[in-house]
Amino acid sequence: MTPPNISYKCMIQMTNYSGEKAYVVVSLINPEGNYEKTLYVQGDDAEWFPDLKQWWDFSNGSNENIDGLTGATIGNGERNIISLTFDESQLDAGYKVRFESAVEDQDYHEVDAEIKLNSATIKNKVDGTGYIRYIRMVPNR
Amino acid sequence: MVSVWRYSHLLFAIISSAFLLMASITGVILAVEPISNKVQPYRISGADELSLAEVLTTLDDTYEEILAVTRDRNGFIKVSAIIDGANAEFYVNPFNGEKLADPIEKQAIYQFATNLHRSLFLKSTGRILIGLSSFFLILIAISGIVLIAKRQGGYRHFFSPIVRENFSQYHHVVYSRFALVPIFILALTGVYLSLLRFNIIPETPISMEVDYDNIKEEPALPHAEFELFKNTQLGDIRDLEYPFSEFVEDYYIIRYRDKEVFLNQVTGDILAEEKFPMVQIISSWATVLHTAEGSILWAIFVGLGSLAIPFLIITGFVIYFKRPKTKIRNEFSKNQAEIVILVGTEGGTTLQFAEQFQKKLLERKVPCFLGMMNEYNRFKSMQQLILITATYGQGEAPASAEKFLSLLQKKPQNQNFKFTTVGFGSTAYPHFCQFAHEAHQHLSQLDNGTAFMEVFTVNDQSFEAFQNWCTEWSQLQGMDLRLEKPKTMGNTLPSSTFKVLNKSELPTDETFLLNLKNLNGAKPISGDLLSVVPKEGERERLYSLGKLSDNSLVVSIRRHPNGLCSNYLHQLEDGEKLTATVIPNRNFHFPKNSKKTILIATGTGIGPFLGMIEENTNKKELHLYWGARTPQSLNLYKEFIQKSMQGGKLSHFKTAYSREKEEKVYVQHLIKKDRDLFAQVLKKRGAIMICGSIAMQKEVLYELQDICSQELGRDLSYFQNKKQIKMDCY
Repeated sequence: MTPPNISYKCMIQMTNYSGEKAYVVVSLINPEGNYEKTLYVQGDDAEWFPDLKQWWDFSNGSNENIDGLTGATIGNGERNIISLTFDESQLDAGYKVRFESAVEDQDYHEVDAEIKLNSATIKNKVDGTGYIRYIRMVPNR
Repeated sequence: MVSVWRYSHLLFAIISSAFLLMASITGVILAVEPISNKVQPYRISGADELSLAEVLTTLDDTYEEILAVTRDRNGFIKVSAIIDGANAEFYVNPFNGEKLADPIEKQAIYQFATNLHRSLFLKSTGRILIGLSSFFLILIAISGIVLIAKRQGGYRHFFSPIVRENFSQYHHVVYSRFALVPIFILALTGVYLSLLRFNIIPETPISMEVDYDNIKEEPALPHAEFELFKNTQLGDIRDLEYPFSEFVEDYYIIRYRDKEVFLNQVTGDILAEEKFPMVQIISSWATVLHTAEGSILWAIFVGLGSLAIPFLIITGFVIYFKRPKTKIRNEFSKNQAEIVILVGTEGGTTLQFAEQFQKKLLERKVPCFLGMMNEYNRFKSMQQLILITATYGQGEAPASAEKFLSLLQKKPQNQNFKFTTVGFGSTAYPHFCQFAHEAHQHLSQLDNGTAFMEVFTVNDQSFEAFQNWCTEWSQLQGMDLRLEKPKTMGNTLPSSTFKVLNKSELPTDETFLLNLKNLNGAKPISGDLLSVVPKEGERERLYSLGKLSDNSLVVSIRRHPNGLCSNYLHQLEDGEKLTATVIPNRNFHFPKNSKKTILIATGTGIGPFLGMIEENTNKKELHLYWGARTPQSLNLYKEFIQKSMQGGKLSHFKTAYSREKEEKVYVQHLIKKDRDLFAQVLKKRGAIMICGSIAMQKEVLYELQDICSQELGRDLSYFQNKKQIKMDCY
């Protein structure tokens, strides 16, 4: 029996930075602060994945299958809306959702934004520190 | 001035060729991508005319949660949705919401080509290199335009026919003229996109503010009732994003081609609206023009432009490397030489002729020196100066003679000397051999220089004409020089076998007619050439062919006492076989749309015309002017001519005989008498065809030039460029 799932709609709103379109990876971080699994990869050209260094070390190092998790990159000022799914057991258990980002020839942000997987606060808007302006999440209909 | 343009053209090409080669080859591959996308059957006809209200209602009924609707440049409608808690993207039929297909995935080859095309896999460094190459391409294109205009003798003649010197030169110019437009657009947009990428052109993002304090929550309307949705067609938008949540603070975002609108999700009011800044619209255009997204025709157009670049790079370098690089070998120093040959050349062809001449002089141990006209200096032992020079563009000096006229003043000779000038050019240009005449003129003004001969002109690199000059010159010098025609280089045309049907002969005139039947291979047209090699290793001789019927060809031949080829052909008996090659001679085919045509020939030059007359079954107006020594010369053709006139295939026939009376009559005299006819034919877009000796050609052209300028107010070259004057002279 797979544990019941809970899914959220998540909006990634980019800032008006200048440059190429951004690569953003959304990962689940376990209570120990380590990568648990990849939830979504915004970027479809694997050539640039190693630029997201920390995540790549984990994902590539653990031979994770990320087929079907990728979507198109988005540019500055744009937003992307995605759906993220978790095990219900991960809710309110110290897990976090991390957004890390990179842009060709520009800085890499290991933690651009991070949201606690906490049912009480998850709907709060969280500001990014890099190319992400803010993240919003709401439960799926 | 020419050399400045030429050197910059070359320099930019050298700097950027490796990158341009990469970018253009990948560019050709990338031109296939928009075509392969566009042909997918995801564009539903009539979908663009649907209103947003209709489309959104359909989609909302079909899918649980829609995030966005996008219309791409192919007119495909893509939906982003959440289905069973997972992200989904696919093309839909907006009439019924049916999913058509998953989004087209960029194939690995295109991904690879794109990376190589943009940045050579060198990230920013590569992007800078490609951007710079793109910039150099603009400069190459501009200098190329100037060079073509100079070569053609002005911008007015930009698209006039090009004189063919060799394969590379000819095709470089031909293809660049047509590829110019796509190449220029690709280079310009390429530079623009690079500047955009490096923020040199700043892209100001749209920054709309929503007044959240005054946002209304009523009257609430179903979104199918929103004015904007009812009045906007699907074809007008680029994309539409749904509100993130059901809170009134979240709104619809609708992007048009030129503006962005925020729409209240409850009331349908416009919350904010802003036009895209100009830069963004230009950028969008630059992207479409450069990538050809969404248009098959444009993709083919720029794809061909891109394909032309490697071709132009290669032919360009071939032209450069073929250019003479003072590889001239001299056995005598400039101060030992009694005969100094100086060459004015652009592409090096003229030099090849001069080299032939020098070689023959050296064989006779004549102390001579061969150099470029720019090397004009004091020549201590010079008795005669021979200039062999082409003309560039509008009568300018060619590259290797640019400094000649000023050197002539600066370096006076200490002794008296004679001079001779040979001009190379094409009568298809308005300033035929002008520089040769100018140089000759300047030499005449020197105190110690005397002209040895008149300026001799050679049209279209005719070896025969140059040989004629050489004979004339060497006879005056008391020598007998015979030049060797360079062997035909790699004649790849297949040879055919012919059977001799019949030979008719006129021994008194040393002329004969061969009737041939083609047994296999080529299908010649009257005016094409028959290349005959009498013995292996010998050089070819060319004869003009007349086609009397599918099974009968005719060649008219003069037998020279020591002529290898003419005697070989003469000894052929009826029924014997002959191996020879047909060489197409498109410039001497009978013009199909000419209503009135005049044929001018001397002696055996009548050969191809026999075929053209025979083929005149529509009985168009056809005049034949023929020159020979005596009326007896006509016996060979008499019967044919009479039959043709009776049958209406030949309208008029006039003859000029040079040995009949006291006063010699030549064809040019007949032309002078019939000026009105000639002027009328040219005016009515008819054609004049000339076949025979170079000497006759010169006289006839002189007469025609006079008619053109006096009666028609035009230069002869104008009609030549319109292909109304066609020549095949030897």
